[in-house]
Amino acid sequence: MKLKTFYAEHESFILGTGFIVILLALWESVPLWYTLPKGMALFFTTPSKVAAAFQQLLINGEIEKHFYVSAIAFLAGLGLSVVVGLPLGLLMGRSQTLEALLDPYVTSFNASPRIVWLPLMILWFGIGIWSKIVIVFAGAVFPLLINTYAGVKNVNRVLVNVVRSFGANEWQLMKVVVLPNSLPYIIVGLRLAIGRAILGVVVGEFFGSSQGLGYMIASAATNYKVDVVFVGVAIFMTLSVILTLAVKRLESRLASWRPETAKTF
Amino acid sequence: MNAKDYYTEHRRLVLGVFSVIFLVAAWELLLTYVFPVNPFFFTKPSLIAEAFKEQVQGAKLWHDLAISSRAFLWGFSFAVIVGIPVGLVMGWRRRVEYALDPFLTAMYASPLVALAPLLIIVFGVGVLGKAALVFLLSVFPFVFNVFAGVKSTDALLINVIRSFGGTEKDLYFKVILPSTMPYLIAGARLAIGRGLVGIIVGEFYAASEGIGFAISQAGDTYRLPDMFVGIIILSVIAVVLTEAMRRLELTVAPWRAGEEVR
Amino acid sequence: MLPFIRAHDITLVFQSKNRDPVTAINHLNLEIANGEFVSIVGPSGCGKSTFLNMLLGLLRPDSGELQMDGRTITGPGQERAMVFQEFGLLPWRTVTANVELGLELKGIAAGKRTKRAMELIRLVGLEGFERHYPHELSGGMKQRVGLARALATEPEVLLMDEPFAALDAQTRDLMQSELLQIWERTRKTVLFVTHSIEEAAYLSDRVIVMTARPGRTKETLKIQLPRPRDYEMRLTPEFNEIKSRIWEVLKEELMPGSRR
Repeated sequence: MKLKTFYAEHESFILGTGFIVILLALWESVPLWYTLPKGMALFFTTPSKVAAAFQQLLINGEIEKHFYVSAIAFLAGLGLSVVVGLPLGLLMGRSQTLEALLDPYVTSFNASPRIVWLPLMILWFGIGIWSKIVIVFAGAVFPLLINTYAGVKNVNRVLVNVVRSFGANEWQLMKVVVLPNSLPYIIVGLRLAIGRAILGVVVGEFFGSSQGLGYMIASAATNYKVDVVFVGVAIFMTLSVILTLAVKRLESRLASWRPETAKTF
Repeated sequence: MNAKDYYTEHRRLVLGVFSVIFLVAAWELLLTYVFPVNPFFFTKPSLIAEAFKEQVQGAKLWHDLAISSRAFLWGFSFAVIVGIPVGLVMGWRRRVEYALDPFLTAMYASPLVALAPLLIIVFGVGVLGKAALVFLLSVFPFVFNVFAGVKSTDALLINVIRSFGGTEKDLYFKVILPSTMPYLIAGARLAIGRGLVGIIVGEFYAASEGIGFAISQAGDTYRLPDMFVGIIILSVIAVVLTEAMRRLELTVAPWRAGEEVR
Repeated sequence: MLPFIRAHDITLVFQSKNRDPVTAINHLNLEIANGEFVSIVGPSGCGKSTFLNMLLGLLRPDSGELQMDGRTITGPGQERAMVFQEFGLLPWRTVTANVELGLELKGIAAGKRTKRAMELIRLVGLEGFERHYPHELSGGMKQRVGLARALATEPEVLLMDEPFAALDAQTRDLMQSELLQIWERTRKTVLFVTHSIEEAAYLSDRVIVMTARPGRTKETLKIQLPRPRDYEMRLTPEFNEIKSRIWEVLKEELMPGSRR
């Protein structure tokens, strides 16, 4: 039976999208079968209202404005973390002394929520874009750093010896063996860094800010404009998913030769 | 053994400790003798130590910690109670995996903190709001790590149990659960990190008590030493918990001692 | 006398989602007497491991009868135990706890289990390693644990699926001799699947050669070597004669085009 084979072959896609569609439909239909008490009704919105709010914000240019600000903070912070994290990670991977010296800071900063530093950042950099950039940087640099130096450390001893036996110096070693070998780790680090960077933008813009998508969400919440809140959340969600998928695609392309990559979630 | 031998053996520890001591000393000396210090923007270790002593001897710090811990534990416990079974079912039943995976992956990849203002507005600024945020943030690492753990169960071991006539219950308790343990603990480690972000963001945003609030309030009133005390205490707690989880991972799964899960 | 294990006209087809169905075993017939040590050799993919899994009870034939001691095999049972090629030890359990597994699943009390496990650990020569974990053991030691575990529940039939294939040559020789010693003491019925003609000839009373896929019995050869056997026997011309006879039969199945 044709329908049955179609289902069998696309089962995962059907169930997956079906689940999401059903959830959205249920959400949309709540006002129809359950009248909320007055107080709750203020906090409630439906997917269609969110879509309408999104359209409205697009039309009056609000979204563009905030998006632009957030994007700058995100890209600047992420860029900075790559510029600092990658070279430092490479150096730390090759030099055990450097790694030992920096390890206490790396471990403690990585393990603790970098958000705690936000009030201090705001104190120092004000509510302009710089405090956001610093928080984004602080969040994104660590996964990059750690994964880069894990990649460098894990380079196959045998390969290094092989290349050395052809008379390669340190620089050539890096180029021919260490970097290509570390690439998968670095990509994974990049994926994590992107997630942390988005987090940094969101939280940084919640507090002490007057622009940006995070600010848009926070101020909408204070004004009970729940549909706008969800517009902001949806935008962040979509961006995260797209970026993560893109990097994952990159990961599988560049890391197809590896039996197992650095496992991360 | 003499100093040289000790150094070679414990090189990492020595260098690490030296590094920290050097930084603290340099910081203190630079800000005492070299740079003029504007107390509204800078502080130094000696002042931080003083503030630390004061806070520890006082009552407010402990009270704040208690408040924050309560909210955190509530949210985290629910994340454990909900996350682990969902992960188990997803790993064991393929249909459930197909249905839930896209949705949950999207949620996991998104900055759910963005919902913080909404949650606080709906649930209020007390324990409930903060716990809800902590729950939302820490449930996903549990789901996905338990899910991965179940899926990674060695099929051979399942056959072994079956060959001895084991029941479904035996499969769960003797193979799947132990096999999933290391993943579960890794998940707990990640969940703690995310949960802490939740409690802090919740308290920055709208709270009147708690350690996060204390930090942001100290910032508002330009009391830098107090701010640093809060930041340091929170960081220490985070590091201790995370390291404890890593140690636990190693004890529970000594046969996986070489693997790194970040 | 009724054979102890009887496979009559067994057929098994593997259904796959995206590919054509594969007939693994086609009209296989086999009989094994109680207390016999029988080896099965055959080309890769001929279905010998599949057949073993059917005897274990984890797979059901699509048609035909599979019986042990007069009763049809419908699922795993305490009378049959398997030793796996990749050992299959639970990595989070000690050697003792692993050996106890079958007894534990049967519901035997803890004290009795441990006592029995200790006996077997001694039998396979792993005394002193009771509290070790699998990742601390060598391949040969791991397989001894596997053997001890299989023997713990006192099965009547031991199913061995290329148990020594993952070991190095020396350890393999050693394990073969030890297996024979243990078998002489306990005289279980053993069904031993292997790729090695030498191994099959050395260990067994009978060697069954299977055809290429879809598998069935091609020929059975009786091994006329006296027991107990020792290593020196492998160096005799008689042994070589036996090996070449088996090889003659097996050779045809290894030619390209013999797979159907």
